[in-house]
Amino acid sequence: MALVSADSRIAELLTELHQLIKQTQEERSRSEHNLVNIQKTHERMQTENKISPYYRTKLRGLYTTAKADAEAECNILRKALDKIAEIKSLLEERRIAAKIAGLYNDSEPPRKTMRRGVLMTLLQQSAMTLPLWIGKPGDKPPPLCGAIPASGDYVARPGDKVAARVKAVDGDEQWILAEVVSYSHATNKYCAPGCIQPFPPFVCRYEVDDIDEEGKERHTLSRRRVIPLPQWKANPETDPEALFQKEQLVLALYPQTTCFYRALIHAPPQRPQDDYSVLFEDTSYADGYSPPLNVAQRYVVACKEPKKK
Amino acid sequence: MSELKDCPLQFHDFKSVDHLKVCPRYTAVLARSEDDGIGIEELDTLQLELETLLSSASRRLRVLEAETQILTDWQDKKGDRRFLKLGRDHELGAPPKHGKPKKQKLEGKAGHGPGPGPGRPKSKNLQPKIQEYEFTDDPIDVPRIPKNDAPNRFWASVEPYCADITSEEVRTLEELLKPPEDEAEHYKIPPLGKHYSQRWAQEDLLEEQKDGARAAAVADKKKGLMGPLTELDTKDVDALLKKSEAQHEQPEDGCPFGALTQRLLQALVENKPFSVPHTKSLESRIKEELIAQGLLESEDRPAEDSEDEVLAELRKRQAELKALSAHNRTKKHDLLRLAKEEVSRQELRQRVRMADNEVMDAFRKIMAARQKKRTPTKKEKDQAWKTLKERESILKLLDG
Repeated sequence: MALVSADSRIAELLTELHQLIKQTQEERSRSEHNLVNIQKTHERMQTENKISPYYRTKLRGLYTTAKADAEAECNILRKALDKIAEIKSLLEERRIAAKIAGLYNDSEPPRKTMRRGVLMTLLQQSAMTLPLWIGKPGDKPPPLCGAIPASGDYVARPGDKVAARVKAVDGDEQWILAEVVSYSHATNKYCAPGCIQPFPPFVCRYEVDDIDEEGKERHTLSRRRVIPLPQWKANPETDPEALFQKEQLVLALYPQTTCFYRALIHAPPQRPQDDYSVLFEDTSYADGYSPPLNVAQRYVVACKEPKKK
Repeated sequence: MSELKDCPLQFHDFKSVDHLKVCPRYTAVLARSEDDGIGIEELDTLQLELETLLSSASRRLRVLEAETQILTDWQDKKGDRRFLKLGRDHELGAPPKHGKPKKQKLEGKAGHGPGPGPGRPKSKNLQPKIQEYEFTDDPIDVPRIPKNDAPNRFWASVEPYCADITSEEVRTLEELLKPPEDEAEHYKIPPLGKHYSQRWAQEDLLEEQKDGARAAAVADKKKGLMGPLTELDTKDVDALLKKSEAQHEQPEDGCPFGALTQRLLQALVENKPFSVPHTKSLESRIKEELIAQGLLESEDRPAEDSEDEVLAELRKRQAELKALSAHNRTKKHDLLRLAKEEVSRQELRQRVRMADNEVMDAFRKIMAARQKKRTPTKKEKDQAWKTLKERESILKLLDG
């Protein structure tokens, strides 16, 4: 079955990853020697008052070697990270396949028994393991990295997480965290092939699933009601322009919920693993805003609504 | 050799990440054998740790590139020729700049310039070359002292005021004196045109006619009657207006004659029976005749002025223009005269300069003769006196 071969493939990839990691460490220990030399040269140059051309040339040579080493190290690390991403995507495919298979196997709706705490942990983990964008010198961060918006014709793939604007039962509109099921591009809308749906196949819309299975699960929405969440974290040390800045209006996931609300950025993250600090719009507070709350990079997107509905 | 404080390098600390402390999972995985492998649940932590390593390596790379660039620029500034030459000389040895040699010893040997080089014969070549470069360094420095060109700038700015007058300039002056062709135009008083109220009335009527014509034309477009219709209309309008004008011209209940004509007729004729054609021209002819006979004074000017402010203003400006033009003309004449005088003086001055040169020549000849310890010949003395006298005469002309 497809699932079994996926397993063996995953096992293969894990082995390859292991090898890559070992190679990485070899590379790193090799370049260690040169870095130590550089350190010694620095010390010597700093103790002597004059900088002789001898030292300059020597330093240049050492730097060039170190550069080559650093590049090699970066390459291997990137390969390792790509490998991890590959494994993860395989795992994700496996999960989606299982989900669809499960849907066919029993006509009952999927289990609603995931406890809130478990869901929250999952969300947090997903935010933490969002890959960090580390560009080579001269690279610009791509679309869907941090605050960089998706390109105009971008279509979210099945399994991608998005912020979706849905109409609740009482008529209220809310932005919820959802996962894309499918998209049909016949007429620019999303729809799910092979899924029970009231719409004829050529009405194209996104089909998204509410992450929180307590709510209405499957929604069919047009493209403008769906905002894809970022697929990379932006590194504040190298690409601060890919982060939202202070006072920018965004949609952020309220902590411990699965809904997005309007918020102002209070402070962008300082280190790659840090969260944004945001102020949610909240009429129950005197100044209209909540105290600063932390929201991971994954759950902060640009807000395009001009006014609160 | 440059001082430490001049060094633009920053001497970054290029220590690599201590993975034992920062990346525990990574370290653990390293320790395992291939058989144990990695568990799926470890992927997330591994990912984070690898990202940390990658980001620090990336940062190191960037800093290294920046520092290398600084080093290169710095070296190039401080006499790269020196290094290039050295580099070439040492090609047989080890290339000092390429990063290939991992051993320090080789680099050390290559880097030493004037000191103990890698081979005896080389050092001899090096010494004079180094000295050369020491010298050539200086001329590069010298031009940096800015030249004082203030006096040059001053004379350049004053030059237009003190330069000689050229014949071109005199010609320009003469041209300026010629009266402008359009002078007559400025003094003309244009005749009174149609009064604006009448003109506007006419234009309004025309507009209405046009609109009407256009509306009709749009309806008649298919019949193609547009062109001739509008023309006819304009003519109609004019006729209409003329009729109304003619009517307005007769406030004096029905009397066709002008004021003078009336008075004359009153004096000469008992009743006013007949209608005379061309009453307007009759009126003006009578006026002219009376003025010619001296019975009536030409009184048109003042009467017009009192009511016509525009005319009054126009006359004032014309008078100003006349006065100003006259003034300008006298000045230009004076200027031309002075310029001509100056030109002749310039010629004289030029002759003085030439005479000066001749005197100097004669003087030099006499000095040379004196140096050679012989008395100057009669020829030389005569020449000297001649030139002196010439010069004096020219000067007299000049001052005279």
